[in-house]
Amino acid sequence: MTPLKSVGRATPRIDAVKRVTGTATYTGDIQLPGMLYARVLRSPYAHARIRSIDVSEAMAIPGVKAIITYRTCRVVWSSGDMRNKRYLFNNPVRFAGDAVAAVAASTRHIAEEAMRLIDVDYEELPFILDPEEALKPGAVEIQPGGNLSPNAKGEHEPEVYRRGNVDEGLRSADRVFEDRYTSVHLNNAQLEPRVSVAQWEGDKLTVYASTQGISNCRTDIAKDLQLPPEKVRVVCQYMGGGFGNKNQCHDFDLMAAVLAKKAGAPVKLEFTRKEDYTAVHGRWPTKQYYKVGVNRDGTLSAIQLRGYSGMGPYRKGVGGIAGVELYQCPNVETVIYPAYTNMAVSANYRAPAYPQGVFGIESLMDDIAYKLKIDPVEFRLKNLTRKHHDELPYTSSGLEDCLRRGAQAFEWKKRWHPPGADPGPIKRGVGLAMGAFGSSLGRSSAVIRLDSRGRFHLHVGVTDVGTGAKTTMALIAAEELGVPLEKLDVVSGDTDLCPYSVGESGSRTTNYTGDAVVQAARDLKRQLAEKGMPQGNEVRIASATLEPTLKDVARYSFAAHFVEVEVDTELGHARVHKYVAAHDSGRIVNPLTATSQVKGGATMGIGMALHEELLYDPGTGVPLNAGYYGARVMTHRDAPEVEVIFVETDDPYGPFGAKALGEPPIIPSVAAVANAIFNAIGRRIKDLPITRDKILGVVA
Amino acid sequence: MSKISRREFLEGTGGALVIAAAVPRLVQAVPLATSTVPAETEAPAVPRTAIRLAVNGVDRRIEVEDRWTLVELLRDHLGLTGSKIGCDRGECGACTVLLDGRPVYSCSYLAVWVDGRSIQTVEGLAQGDRLHPLQEAFIEHDGPQCGFCTPGQLMSAQALLERNPHPTPDQVRAALSGNICRCSNYNRYVEAVLAAAAGSATAPGKP
Repeated sequence: MTPLKSVGRATPRIDAVKRVTGTATYTGDIQLPGMLYARVLRSPYAHARIRSIDVSEAMAIPGVKAIITYRTCRVVWSSGDMRNKRYLFNNPVRFAGDAVAAVAASTRHIAEEAMRLIDVDYEELPFILDPEEALKPGAVEIQPGGNLSPNAKGEHEPEVYRRGNVDEGLRSADRVFEDRYTSVHLNNAQLEPRVSVAQWEGDKLTVYASTQGISNCRTDIAKDLQLPPEKVRVVCQYMGGGFGNKNQCHDFDLMAAVLAKKAGAPVKLEFTRKEDYTAVHGRWPTKQYYKVGVNRDGTLSAIQLRGYSGMGPYRKGVGGIAGVELYQCPNVETVIYPAYTNMAVSANYRAPAYPQGVFGIESLMDDIAYKLKIDPVEFRLKNLTRKHHDELPYTSSGLEDCLRRGAQAFEWKKRWHPPGADPGPIKRGVGLAMGAFGSSLGRSSAVIRLDSRGRFHLHVGVTDVGTGAKTTMALIAAEELGVPLEKLDVVSGDTDLCPYSVGESGSRTTNYTGDAVVQAARDLKRQLAEKGMPQGNEVRIASATLEPTLKDVARYSFAAHFVEVEVDTELGHARVHKYVAAHDSGRIVNPLTATSQVKGGATMGIGMALHEELLYDPGTGVPLNAGYYGARVMTHRDAPEVEVIFVETDDPYGPFGAKALGEPPIIPSVAAVANAIFNAIGRRIKDLPITRDKILGVVA
Repeated sequence: MSKISRREFLEGTGGALVIAAAVPRLVQAVPLATSTVPAETEAPAVPRTAIRLAVNGVDRRIEVEDRWTLVELLRDHLGLTGSKIGCDRGECGACTVLLDGRPVYSCSYLAVWVDGRSIQTVEGLAQGDRLHPLQEAFIEHDGPQCGFCTPGQLMSAQALLERNPHPTPDQVRAALSGNICRCSNYNRYVEAVLAAAAGSATAPGKP
């Protein structure tokens, strides 16, 4: 690849000074004159009908300005459920944490006091937590029409993918392997809790949101409050993380707006950490049943997956189980049942369908390689995907190089030993796993304004959730314009100042909005060639709105991760102490921030592999351990040094050949850790997370 | 050292000022003032106590509600929103400030307890336009991703370097272990603290 001037240069974030001086304005930092504080009352039951609700005592407290409940607020939260009508407040309540009422008061202490005085009479209903159990006859019906969540056509049918003939493939196989893997509900747990500040000025609503996408957030708010989009402004200057749970608009944005209207004053609605864990959404738990047919030469003849995803009581996410597509195989069938349960809602969390699915398929493939006495790296090199679904050519693929270069840097051959061969009691072991993530193209816009001082103002509707998107956009513009980065300002995070951007979800910003930035820069260069530099009060304004598509090709990012663990077989403690992550995300726009993304994603996956889980009491259906300590997220002392390798393929699409990066790093991580534990102790643990009790259970 | 100085950064964000002007002004901290928060006239009377404290070297007298936490005082009543609330229950460390030089979770410390004591927040690290060496190192090594935990990581690191100017990587991890980063940029934070420690002997103003 040809080296470039700005793109590809490790560049500190253009807003880094604000981030290290405490001067970056996050949504919770906003205070408006006369602003009220709001709190939400939530169901203590997993499933219950509200017989009556009395707010009179709460309303009588001095300082309480507005209370809304399912009786007084019938706003539909359309992005809160893709299939059913979900209101801001529902009756029956369908999970412990479902919103029952919201209070706005002059201080948050008064709002909390008022909340305790709302009198709710619940009639408890039977509940169900397991997605497979939820589909059995006689299970309590959580949504009308049954617990199998309908597909996009409204049919209560599973999501099915087929190619070839899987029954034939299994019959003709020399060996068939069959197994079950499971994963649990865990939370995105971004540091910044949910917060929204809503202000009405006449009929115009401004929402200071904590959102991954201001444009879609605005469209959703306008739709749900039945306002023209131009009457809604969404502002998000700095955002404290989301990992998928701050896409679109959320119920708290809508509740704040309704309360502000009712109280006649701006309202700040803040969620507690416990609410953030239990009341929004986390990753969907899965049960995965596989059958894999293998030929004598170690190639695959069939892969069959029957899977169950627990979506909670509202269908807010797709519920897929991905990973099978990593393998070349003529006969494939996947049948996924997204089921309603009375757990917390499940939806997008960094690579939504992937790390849990890849944990299943990559654990199983690792097991097959072991049983066929083939080196795990060789087994993958033999069977890895060459075309997407064995059909569409990839625009570029560095998957094989990720495996080869990763294995070399990790010294795979030197470190690998037969599973369980380390005498212990502290046993070392190594593992690897692959990952792939779609890198699509699509609709986005950009505007560049050049003033007569020679400064370029780049307007993009990004929010920069921590990915470094502002800096990435600036680097792309600087490259295409041929000007130094210092000549550019980025105007972002405000729908009144910025054109449409897809938002930071699906690892799409660099590709979608970056492509628009390139085109806007070309437009500006054309104008300058024609009219020259702006003089005096003149400005040159260039823009681009693109909606590119891919035809007869598939565009993917790829990765392979290599992990070494130490397992203390007396204490059951597993610790990752060496980690190599090789990634093909096309050309890397900013190696500094890209490396941070990979390190962070890989580390997050280790937590998912080893200890993170939102535990539920099976007797009451109530979550037990919401919060950072209880749900056991990674800390400084758990995090290994992650070595990052970029395999920069030359992709013909995307800005300068960049492909998706943000989500892929968490994909192989979970399975790679699980495989390393297998190599260390010679026993395979098939249920996440791989906690001490499970390790002690198999080594004893 | 970072290629961007604070001054260059501020000059380079002319366009961002458009937004800054559009965002409501935060409650401004009044230096050396006796700021009394007016009692909520219609709210029931809650016990209040007059306290005196030094925040980032500035003496302040203020009447606080006895139920306010320190982070609530700093953020809502003194306009110092750099310290963040991530959990409000002593788990995440985003609210870490220095109390007489020692790191505390300001969400788990009552405002009335700081009477007569000295607080340093992230806003007190830079000297005017000159960033603290830790801040420079955090920029250079890409410490902040979303940045929400960064003020807390900085304050814990500052407390560490004050008592141990040349820590080992494990000592850095131990000192920062109460500061969760969900972007999980732990490698970068450790790198940055070690770099700041290595550079501190030659940094201006340091012995």
